[in-house]
Amino acid sequence: MNKFKISLLTSALLASSAAFAQVTAITNAKVHTLTDAGTLEGATVVIENGTITAINPASVKADVTIDAQGRVLTPGFIGSMNQLGLVEVSAVAGSRDAGDDKAGVDFDASPAFNPRSSLIPYGRKGGITQNVVVPHGGKSIFEGLAFVVDLSGEFNSVLKTRTALMVDMDASGSGSRAMKYKTLTEKLEGQQQKLSEKSKKDDKKAAKKPSQEELILTAVLKGEMPVVVEVERASDILEVLKVKEQFGLNLVLWGVNDAVLVKEEIAKANVPVVISAVSNLPTSFSSLHADLTNAGELERAGVKVLLSGFAFEGAHNLYQLRFDAGIAVAHGMSYEGALKAVSSNIADVFDLDGGKIASGQRADLVLWSADPFEFTTTLDKLWINGEEVSTESRHDKLRDRYTTDSDMPRAYTK
Amino acid sequence: MQKFKPTAIVLALSTVLLGCQDKGPQKEKVTIDKNPYPSTYQPHSSGSTLITNATVLTGTGELLEDTDVLLKDGKISQVGKDLSAQADVTIDAQGKWVTPGIIDVHSHLGAYPSPSVESHADGNEITKPNTAQVWVEHSVWPQDPGFNRAREGGITTLQILPGSANLFGGRSVTLKNVPSPTMQGMKFPDAPYGLKMACGENPKRVYGGKGVAPYTRMGNMAGYRAAWAEAAEYKNAWEQYDAAYAAGLNPDAPKRDIRLDTLRGVLDGEILIHNHCYKAEEMAMMIDLSKEFNYHSGTFHHGIEAYKVADLLAENGNCAALWPDWWGFKMEAYDMVPENVAIVDAVKNSCAVVHSDSDTTIQRLNHEAAKIMNTANQAGFSLKEQDAIKWITYNAAKSLGIEEKTGSVKQGKQADIVIWDRNPFSVYSKAETVYIDGAKVYDRFDEKYQAVSDFMLGQR
Repeated sequence: MNKFKISLLTSALLASSAAFAQVTAITNAKVHTLTDAGTLEGATVVIENGTITAINPASVKADVTIDAQGRVLTPGFIGSMNQLGLVEVSAVAGSRDAGDDKAGVDFDASPAFNPRSSLIPYGRKGGITQNVVVPHGGKSIFEGLAFVVDLSGEFNSVLKTRTALMVDMDASGSGSRAMKYKTLTEKLEGQQQKLSEKSKKDDKKAAKKPSQEELILTAVLKGEMPVVVEVERASDILEVLKVKEQFGLNLVLWGVNDAVLVKEEIAKANVPVVISAVSNLPTSFSSLHADLTNAGELERAGVKVLLSGFAFEGAHNLYQLRFDAGIAVAHGMSYEGALKAVSSNIADVFDLDGGKIASGQRADLVLWSADPFEFTTTLDKLWINGEEVSTESRHDKLRDRYTTDSDMPRAYTK
Repeated sequence: MQKFKPTAIVLALSTVLLGCQDKGPQKEKVTIDKNPYPSTYQPHSSGSTLITNATVLTGTGELLEDTDVLLKDGKISQVGKDLSAQADVTIDAQGKWVTPGIIDVHSHLGAYPSPSVESHADGNEITKPNTAQVWVEHSVWPQDPGFNRAREGGITTLQILPGSANLFGGRSVTLKNVPSPTMQGMKFPDAPYGLKMACGENPKRVYGGKGVAPYTRMGNMAGYRAAWAEAAEYKNAWEQYDAAYAAGLNPDAPKRDIRLDTLRGVLDGEILIHNHCYKAEEMAMMIDLSKEFNYHSGTFHHGIEAYKVADLLAENGNCAALWPDWWGFKMEAYDMVPENVAIVDAVKNSCAVVHSDSDTTIQRLNHEAAKIMNTANQAGFSLKEQDAIKWITYNAAKSLGIEEKTGSVKQGKQADIVIWDRNPFSVYSKAETVYIDGAKVYDRFDEKYQAVSDFMLGQR
């Protein structure tokens, strides 16, 4: 189930046997490490058994050496807040597994994840190597649990489950948002109560097996599991910050088109935000401050910014994330900040291995012809967990079929 | 092309009409006002502007370096090197790029405005499969903040379409993207009307879900055919009336039908078809349908599978208005290729257009075109900026029937112009100044030229 642990174990076993260890060195690259080491020119990165083993070692003994010729090496980018692998065609009900009326705190959609989805190779075209998949949920404000996958397309590509609890606190079509706060606080207070009672009770009663929901809420109350709250309006953001304070939550804010109004408070509370770089319309009365400059403004206020896709860029066009980052830069975000917003910041917030180029990190890497945010730039090579992965998708096969001359009907061109 | 052959019903109808007429003094002639909501658009007062040393993309396949453009009396007065002209304002555009104003042939701004609350959903008359009687201009809210955002992205002209729930969704309207408290104040003078049609999944889902026709794709086709047959009879009845009246007779006018007025406008060649149609086989059938009833099938919008029938579209003179990359939201959008526009464009006499159908990507149609150009070049095409710009300027104007007026940087055309801070096909590019009919309507560095909608006033 937890592939990541298995792969660590596997690499440990492989490492003990030099025969299996193929060493790849990428030399002469412009490396955005996204660590304190900054950006290195003409650098060498060595990977072995899925892990980055050295940067600029004194000497390199590699089985495969790739001369980057000054091209740009970045960590694989990380998608988030979408339904990758849970929805193939949005309008086809039988291909949708991201939501359920009965979904609640303990809704884990990861068993429904399809690593063979046609969206995954297409996502790789944008240099996306991992993705935080989130459920749609159902009738409850608790939408379920996020999980993390890589984009290898392998059957073991779920890396981590129970990554975060998703909560929707945005205005709904009916009822009052005040009821949502009541629901949220009562749920958390209820679990707090159980935990304190449990500590007082005798051994026999305390031994009663807790439910999945209770286990999750306990992890949330201990700050072990992040809580991602979808919210837009500034006053709602402040209200959610109060809930964080009251229960000691490990809070992540998502959506937050009005966040710039309360950026100091968000920074002070040390709460990261996930936003879309291209959201700039007042889509509702809760998001009147949506603007292309928001990513940069939040960054300058000291808020940790994560970028996720927007509407059609969601899961189907995950590849667009790098262009969104470019648009954020065009409107005032720092270049390094934008790189982090699509990689290391996401890894940090959701405790993933990846998103940085450093010794000991998982080898999710992308070699770009030039600036990864620019349209003219090509993705030249992509590694997921140290394996070089193809970026060909069925879209390429379709294009080739209809652009290749043949005497036979198109259906014979494969 | 096959001419319309009068059916037995039409002949019978004509006989009835002739039977009603008496020989007395003629009653007043009944005529239909084809323009009851006329444009009141007036270009903002403009002096002359000389833009110097720019890299100019003409929109018609040329890239001109170190070139000057003179805007005068609302028109592009001169384009050339080292113009000696004097102007009220001279802008040194060294290092900057100039393009025609960007045109989006597929927008719902104003009809589905921001904020997208219930009270604002005015784009889709989901009550009958044929609502050719509705005109989307009657739904446009000129205060939609999205118009201003689109102008900041260089959009000077846009077609507003009704939605795609119906076989016939209603009439479109083409607007100049100027701030105005009325729709008429934005209306592009003398632009032809469009008729929105929709193929495939939407009509059958909306009506089939209610257990009424169309329930299937064959039901869709049956619906179109019935409507065009009825429209042909209506057209014939009016022509009979006009002929009889001209002959000095005193006939009764046919009963006015607003729905059939629109379809007749298509048959008369005055209204252009804009057809939401994704799939190769459906586009081919819509072309045959147009031949059956003797009209032109116009522009196919969202043609995700246009690359499969690129030759057919070019042969028949259809424009194809396409996205770079939207896909997968329904089965008819599953076979996307990011090179779609480039493949369509590669055929002789083609008309490839990039459209948005989005209040967000309309702000960056240059980026949408850039994605296609670069993806296609990686797949072996050799497209340049001067090729890609056509998709969002000249070809778009052609799709709307306004290419004689706008869509290219050419002497005598309306001075709809964008100055970009760099190559507009860079992700970092931004429109700096936007002109419509020679009047500055947006300036990135001057708040005086940054319009704010009534809705946003005082909100932040």
